[in-house]
Amino acid sequence: MMKFLFMMIFMIPLCFMKNMFWLVQMMLFFMMFLFMNLNLNIMCFFNMSYMSYCDIISFGLILLSIWICSLMIMASESLFKLNFYFNFFLFNVIFLLIMLYLTFSVLNLLLFYFFFEASLIPTLLLIIGWGYQPERIQAGMYLLFYTLFGSLPLLMGIIYIFNDLNTMTIYFLKFFNMNMYLLYISMIFAFLVKMPMYFVHLWLPKAHVEAPVSGSMILAGIMLKLGGYGLLRVMIFLQEVNLKLNYIWIIISLVGGLFISMKCFCQVDMKSLIAYSSVAHMSMVIGGIMVMNYWGFIGSYILMISHGLCSSGMFCLANINYERLHSRSLYINSGMMNFMPSMSLWWFLLLSSNMAAPPSLNLLGEISLINSLVSWSNISMILLMMISFFSAGYSLYLYSYIQHGKYFQGLYSFYVWFISWVFIIIFALISFKYDNFKGWFYFYLILNKK
Amino acid sequence: MNNNSNKMFFLFILFFSTLISISSNSWFGCWIGLEINLLSFIPLISNSKNLLSVETSLKYFLTQSLASINFLFMILIKFSLLKNFDMNNIISIMMNSSLLMKMGSAPFHFWFPNIVEGLSWMNNFMLMTWQKISPMILLSYYFNKNFLIFMIIMNLIIGSLGGLNQTSLRKLLAFSSINNLGWMIFSIMISENLWLFYFLIYSMMIFMMISLFFLMNMYFMNQLFINNMNFFIKLNLLINFLSLGGLPPFMGFMPKWIIINFLLINKFYFLTFIFMMTSLIIIYYYIRIIYSSFMFNYFKMKWMNLLMKNNMSLINLSSFISISSMILSTFIFM
Repeated sequence: MMKFLFMMIFMIPLCFMKNMFWLVQMMLFFMMFLFMNLNLNIMCFFNMSYMSYCDIISFGLILLSIWICSLMIMASESLFKLNFYFNFFLFNVIFLLIMLYLTFSVLNLLLFYFFFEASLIPTLLLIIGWGYQPERIQAGMYLLFYTLFGSLPLLMGIIYIFNDLNTMTIYFLKFFNMNMYLLYISMIFAFLVKMPMYFVHLWLPKAHVEAPVSGSMILAGIMLKLGGYGLLRVMIFLQEVNLKLNYIWIIISLVGGLFISMKCFCQVDMKSLIAYSSVAHMSMVIGGIMVMNYWGFIGSYILMISHGLCSSGMFCLANINYERLHSRSLYINSGMMNFMPSMSLWWFLLLSSNMAAPPSLNLLGEISLINSLVSWSNISMILLMMISFFSAGYSLYLYSYIQHGKYFQGLYSFYVWFISWVFIIIFALISFKYDNFKGWFYFYLILNKK
Repeated sequence: MNNNSNKMFFLFILFFSTLISISSNSWFGCWIGLEINLLSFIPLISNSKNLLSVETSLKYFLTQSLASINFLFMILIKFSLLKNFDMNNIISIMMNSSLLMKMGSAPFHFWFPNIVEGLSWMNNFMLMTWQKISPMILLSYYFNKNFLIFMIIMNLIIGSLGGLNQTSLRKLLAFSSINNLGWMIFSIMISENLWLFYFLIYSMMIFMMISLFFLMNMYFMNQLFINNMNFFIKLNLLINFLSLGGLPPFMGFMPKWIIINFLLINKFYFLTFIFMMTSLIIIYYYIRIIYSSFMFNYFKMKWMNLLMKNNMSLINLSSFISISSMILSTFIFM
């Protein structure tokens, strides 16, 4: 575990040397394959050291973050070509990766908070530094302040826990019962803002739309999952209050997911649509975690991983369109199948995964979540049915609007294909295949546990 | 006139007066130290050629001598009328009030942004850091807990909300100093070591920022984007301001974390909430300054290089410290 940390730290001087852009990206890929080969034991923590550990959730999320960071660099090739501060960009990405890696792997709850907050700073710098529109100022403010507003009470809660239990080791927290309402609110609220839940989701469309492609990919891919990871870790010692109060969050997030799914149909901006669909998926994840059964736990974890891959892939594709047509509007990006028919394959694969069509990993997550939520209450069937239906609806809407039909008559000329995108696509395909196998493994796991 | 030997003389007496004040055996010695402090600071800030400077030093003299007289009077009353050591009485409130007025803490803070506006950056640094030492330590000798908690809340709120409409960098730092006074007064109530820790880190961060503004000769927010700052200076500005605001992973998070720890040990839950939320408002106007320097288009003058200063090493040193403080602050945890 330390070896990966050192590898990442020593990549930092590499970012500032000449002609090292692709080397850094290849080394991140290399690190991902190395990390994948760690010994993986499902039921316990492994690779424990004095301050870091890994269990199945941490493993998957660290793997996802390394993967997405390497894809981020690949997707930002235009920064390198245009010579737009790519050294500092690489430093930002590696710094963000270090912070995320440490967030998912430290044993101490306070250090988790420290790196959780610290990952905001490079994201803010990415949005402000390399974003495309002037609205990114407000987007950065919204991102920073929504998240800080939620996470400062989290700091209070963590220090209260330390003063009460005299330990902050995440592993030991499951032996305690801290059933206090105020503590519950302060611990959960930060993660709900980060997830985001419906009422505190306003930062997400702004931040996702105004971020550059790399910022959008990392935000959709991992930063939302920080909230999910925090919830999965923190709810262990709050079980009685959970049983009393979780229905509030489930209801808010499911109904909110429904509203957001309907709002997706009204979007004109491609990235905005994908951002709102992220909120809808995460609403189901919150629902799944909050019902506190095992299917919900596993389902939300699978949906987090799969949504991370799927959403960042879609942002990458949206950026491909943006780089060529310089517009993200649906009115202009229509009829793309006429120009880039191979790209329509990728749009279709990713959007069908987004709507949780078989054989994608999203399907497995959604099935598990539907199972867990319906077992909690039959009435949630209505909400879940409508959320799933609308997610299919807007994914198909996006696909059909972008690909089919006649192209926009105002287009003059643009590039059709870059060779390096082939690599992204090949690797994305590998990830889908690999995660499909992992997905069936989880399915076997769930069946066994039941 | 202010040549270097004058400054050295008065600076020496300034430092010495604080040491007299904090290490005296009786309250009378404390008062003497405070008076000498005032007397030696006035020549440092007044410059008879500049009308604003004269007016500033006059205002400073008036407020501080009022506070000192009050302090002396309360000391004498305490000595002659009260024979107990109880700290929860009216005399302790009056003594604390006069010391708070010396420091520029709310609700006696109205002179502070005014005077800070009239001083140069180095004098501001003295005012914001060194001049706070002796009133704080005197405060720690005889404080009234309930009164001070109320003052802390006022400090936090006034420091955060007062800076929202400012464009002068000096006044912004003045309000942030008032806010940080709230944190420091609380740390005095816990232990003097904790106060020293917070104060040292705070003065180091203020020093880095003030030295940056001093070298760039910047006094107002619109000067942030007119100048041609190179990238490391902007990065330095970003890191310093975020560090002052108390965001992880920078050095400024550490003292705030420790104070929150003690707040929660002593069960001040609502007060902690006020600490957090006001620090959020402070981060808002820091980020505004950072945006001003990072985002707006700047003029690149080709016929004059604005940064041909002899002491670039100070900028480099402060950049290095502020960037490496990130790493250092993580080491403290382990």
